[in-house]
Amino acid sequence: MNQNAKKVMVIGGGIAGIQSSLDLGDMGYKVALIEQEPCIGGRMAQLDKTLPTNDCSICILAPKLSDCFRHPNIKIHSLTQVQKISKKEQGFTVTLLRKARFVNEDLCINCGLCVEKCPSKVLDTFEMKMNKRKAIYLYYLQGVPAIMAIDKEKCLYLKNKNKEKRVCGFCEDVCQHNAIDFTQTDTNYTLESDAIILAVGSNQYDPTPLYAYGYKKYKNVITGLEYERMISASGPTEGHITRLSDKKHPKTIAFVQCVGSRDVNTNPYCSSICCTYSTKHAILSREHDEEIQSSIFYIDLRAGGKGFQKYIERAKNEYGVKYIRGKIAEIKIDENENPILFYEDLDTFDVKSKKVEFVILACAMIPTKNSDKLAKVLGIELDEFNFVKSSIDSPVNTNVPGIFACGACLGPQDIPHSVINASGAAAKASEYISRTKR
Amino acid sequence: MNELITEPKSESDNEFEPKILGFLCNWCSYAGADLAGVSRNQYPPNIRVIRLMCSGRVDPVFVMDALIKGVDGILILGCHLGDCHYGEGNYEAQVNYEMLNNLLKYVKMDNRVDLGWVSAAEGTYFAKIVTDFTNKIRSLGPSPLSSKSNPSKELLLNMKAIKQVVYDPRTRKLVGRERFITLHGNVYDEKIDEDEFALLLRDSLEAEYIRNQIYFYLKESPSSVKDMSEKIGIDTKTIFEHFLVLRQRTLIDLSEIKGYSPVYKVIK
Amino acid sequence: MDEIRIGVFVCHCGTNIAGFVDIASVEEYVKTLPHVVFTQRNLYTCSETGLLAIKNGIEENKLNRVIVAACTPRTHEPLFRGICSEMGLNPYFFEFVNIREQCSWVHQKDREKATLKARDLIRMGVARAALLEPLEKFQIDVKPSTLIIGGGISGMTAASNLANQGFEAIIVEKDIELGGQLRHHHKLYPGNMDSQEILSIIEEILKNPKIIVHTSSKIKDIDGYIGNFDITILKDEEEIKFGVGTIIVATGTDLLKPKGLYNYDGKKVITQKELELLFKKDQFNFKNIVMIQCVGSRNKERPYCSSICCMTAMKNARYIKEKNPDAEIIILNRDIYTSGTYQETYYRDARKMGIIFSRYNESKLPKVSEESVIYFNESMKEEIEIKYDLVVLSTPLISYGESKELSKMLKVPIDEFGFFLEAHVKLRPVDFSNDGIFVCGTCKWPANVPESISQGYAAASRVTRIISKDSFTVEGATAWIDQDKCVTCEICLKKCAYKAITRDEEERVIVRTVLCKGCGVCATTCPQHAIEIRHYTDNQVESQITALLEGDLVE
Repeated sequence: MNQNAKKVMVIGGGIAGIQSSLDLGDMGYKVALIEQEPCIGGRMAQLDKTLPTNDCSICILAPKLSDCFRHPNIKIHSLTQVQKISKKEQGFTVTLLRKARFVNEDLCINCGLCVEKCPSKVLDTFEMKMNKRKAIYLYYLQGVPAIMAIDKEKCLYLKNKNKEKRVCGFCEDVCQHNAIDFTQTDTNYTLESDAIILAVGSNQYDPTPLYAYGYKKYKNVITGLEYERMISASGPTEGHITRLSDKKHPKTIAFVQCVGSRDVNTNPYCSSICCTYSTKHAILSREHDEEIQSSIFYIDLRAGGKGFQKYIERAKNEYGVKYIRGKIAEIKIDENENPILFYEDLDTFDVKSKKVEFVILACAMIPTKNSDKLAKVLGIELDEFNFVKSSIDSPVNTNVPGIFACGACLGPQDIPHSVINASGAAAKASEYISRTKR
Repeated sequence: MNELITEPKSESDNEFEPKILGFLCNWCSYAGADLAGVSRNQYPPNIRVIRLMCSGRVDPVFVMDALIKGVDGILILGCHLGDCHYGEGNYEAQVNYEMLNNLLKYVKMDNRVDLGWVSAAEGTYFAKIVTDFTNKIRSLGPSPLSSKSNPSKELLLNMKAIKQVVYDPRTRKLVGRERFITLHGNVYDEKIDEDEFALLLRDSLEAEYIRNQIYFYLKESPSSVKDMSEKIGIDTKTIFEHFLVLRQRTLIDLSEIKGYSPVYKVIK
Repeated sequence: MDEIRIGVFVCHCGTNIAGFVDIASVEEYVKTLPHVVFTQRNLYTCSETGLLAIKNGIEENKLNRVIVAACTPRTHEPLFRGICSEMGLNPYFFEFVNIREQCSWVHQKDREKATLKARDLIRMGVARAALLEPLEKFQIDVKPSTLIIGGGISGMTAASNLANQGFEAIIVEKDIELGGQLRHHHKLYPGNMDSQEILSIIEEILKNPKIIVHTSSKIKDIDGYIGNFDITILKDEEEIKFGVGTIIVATGTDLLKPKGLYNYDGKKVITQKELELLFKKDQFNFKNIVMIQCVGSRNKERPYCSSICCMTAMKNARYIKEKNPDAEIIILNRDIYTSGTYQETYYRDARKMGIIFSRYNESKLPKVSEESVIYFNESMKEEIEIKYDLVVLSTPLISYGESKELSKMLKVPIDEFGFFLEAHVKLRPVDFSNDGIFVCGTCKWPANVPESISQGYAAASRVTRIISKDSFTVEGATAWIDQDKCVTCEICLKKCAYKAITRDEEERVIVRTVLCKGCGVCATTCPQHAIEIRHYTDNQVESQITALLEGDLVE
């Protein structure tokens, strides 16, 4: 069977998209892996450790990133988005938009000289805006492809391009490989594809509207993903757990579950992964600092995955993590900006309070910002929450034949589930192509 | 080897820090050791690991080599019995270990070598095994063969003799057939009882050990049966029989007659 | 022989290593070791930047041996070997030294000694690297077919996917018919789909010319290796032999029978499965129902959540309520497990329908007597008695006893609960570490129907990677017999678990390299020291031992 000519497009370069691409690439399909950021890696690249083994996330991800990059059958299209799609008799024609990188991918060697010289500082989205990067930047340390990109909105040269006098352009001067290319523009191009796999992942719910939690109002209340970057050795605080109000190291931390999930006013569904990832945070907190006391406020403790229940037992018994069945009514602060949690004890229905030094909100997993737009472009159905709709007997199919889905765009799920669905989607895509091509 | 003099900085406080060698199989115990790391199970930093595919690859010659060179303790770890990635490699490790253990008893070095089983899921247990073994070796003190101990010539010679025994094709043939003969029977379909075979094996190992002792002593200087009997502490009749065997194997020969006693030497 | 030029790359791994080991001093020390001509420290050696540094290091310094001192070889070795290959260096000239899992992470409180240990380990690696030899991997043919053990939904899904791609699949099912646990189910949540609807796949399977089905059959023996497994099955006491290229394990699970728990009698106190049987036979006629969750799970004996029981209980409770709105149903639970999008809505709707959910505590388990259930209500802080007609116990999925036997035949691991243990929980969820063998469905861990189906597809994908090619590349680290030393005593022949050692036409004892797994048992038992294990030779191991002791000399 000669599958060499057959092509699959994978949209989204997180762990799910990567797994699909690798499986299909190994099967002999030509894979176009579409990623809107400058590097593939997705959410998993932002995580410090993965549970229940607590192995370092980037350590197990990095080999996959490299495998993808080096795979003869996989081509990574970074900084690229899907614009249009048209169904042909067999397969699809996809119009893509590649954003200008302003750096020549073949010439840049990622030496970092340009970053040193660049005077423009930007809030770093990879670091959940807890840190600043330069206008020319590598998306993240272990990112693939390991090539710089210039942030058009923040680059002084590009912002002042129309002025008579040249502004800045230090990066161009300092680059010894002539890799800076300010003439690049956004470009449209089309690709043919025999099947498509959607793996656009998910976002973290922004809890600012949930006023009672005091996110953004109080400096010492942050989100799970922010904490994830904080405890990461390569993150904004180099792995030191630090209160944002006074840079002190907190000794008591509260982890609040179901922020924006299981809540009819925001997202009615359960985000699946929070009970265990907060447990991970609590365990890691204690590993960072033996004096830290963690409390997890939860409604139901959900740990159904392999080894998860034991993980929670370990947290209780070896790391002194306290699990409190309680729903947070409001968070206030005292004069030292210590958060005070007022909560309803779900066993006794009493209202109680607890003062801590730091609060981490386990926020809901929500569909990505543009998922509804993308769904429209692809013509696929979404469920009531804007996740890709699937059925129990065809869990990786969409309503459009030839388009499959995997990972968190199908609904909240953890890494093993994403990887399973990703391989599953690859199998379905291959089956689809085998049956339709004849 | 005796010239190893300087000590690492960290031992300036004079506390004995044993050098421990670990032979770990790739599939279970090495994975268990990795899990100990992933779980951050802390244990003493004395062990140095050599990764092999299977505990059945741990040749007794390696162990003797390490002991003679002065390692304070050796820990051989494999998959639990029945879990071997290769089926029964760890049973082979067990047979080899028991043989070696019997031999090491002659020189009171047997408590410096241990065999254990650790699965890929037993990170905490791995840390415990290493901690316990390190503490045990620490309490035993430095190996009498280590650079710190100024090893006695006699011990060194006996250790070389043991190494030769485990290297010798005769021993290896016998040990290699142990499990097979006790499990499946010999060519005549006679299944030999495990205990019976063990006794047979022990006698034969002891004989080989004495022969090798004799050989290495003779290598140092020619000797009569009577003198050798005093050196090794075994009756003259037994020594004489071993001399005969060694002569048959053309390893030793008559050197001269001193008074009425024949003196033997090693054939170069 | 060319001059040996070793390059050593010491990884910081962020602070994972550098936080507990003085990497700078380690690097300085490594520079003093024999044959080391180049050293470098990397923040993350596995990143593209790090890999580029290795490539440049090889090229600029004419390295012919590469050592990376970083994490465990068990995950990253292929990556670094690949880099060596790319640079034209034989991949077996690469040596990995583990200074993270087995050093920095386990000696976090003693920086000085951890640093000394890292130095020792690298020195041992350098000694070994100097003696490494180039090895060739080679190709073996792959049969484009798959054995699927278990004809439940997961196994059938895999079979159907493979067959539709044009590959042959052979299902071996121990029962008299296909379908597995699904046959016992009544409806499926959340849409009340009839389980028969999903089982319509059976017809498709039986019709598919690419799929061979053996029911009432049992695996008797499995021999061979990836690409060429020899299978013997027992079907109605008749032995059938065939060959396949890959194997998928999809044997499913059993449901715990709660013997001795809560007065279980199978009549008035039954399991969810028995309840569904009553539905199917239309024999259900009860009004006051108490369901108890976590029966025999999330306890000392089985400290895991079976993850499907809460939804199953709700599904059945809702069904009862739909048929008879007057039915009184209370579900006693410890935590309600309804994770993901639709399950939470399902739970909310169940409450709206009037199904009562009440919590009990693990330390005060409910008691079931002749007519009533007594439990301690956590919020009211008092004991409550409920009269019942029927008690339904939600018991967990447990592994089949036969899994152990099968795991031995396949030489794959199972965990403490008897579930099959995958190669990596996160990133290789349906692979075994043994080449060519995969796992899916509930024999790996409790899973619901869509999850089992996904896993079936996933296993099929992993299989397709292999059987879509004609050949598979085999490792080069195998045994080799020196014919000059061999006296053909045949001890190795008996010792080899893979039957990889044999006599050739000239009556010489030789190794069939394809079958050899490189365990080394033959070398250890060879009386003549005639067998070498490539990549783990006597010399290489002894060099590491010698290097370990040399540590005392330096300083």
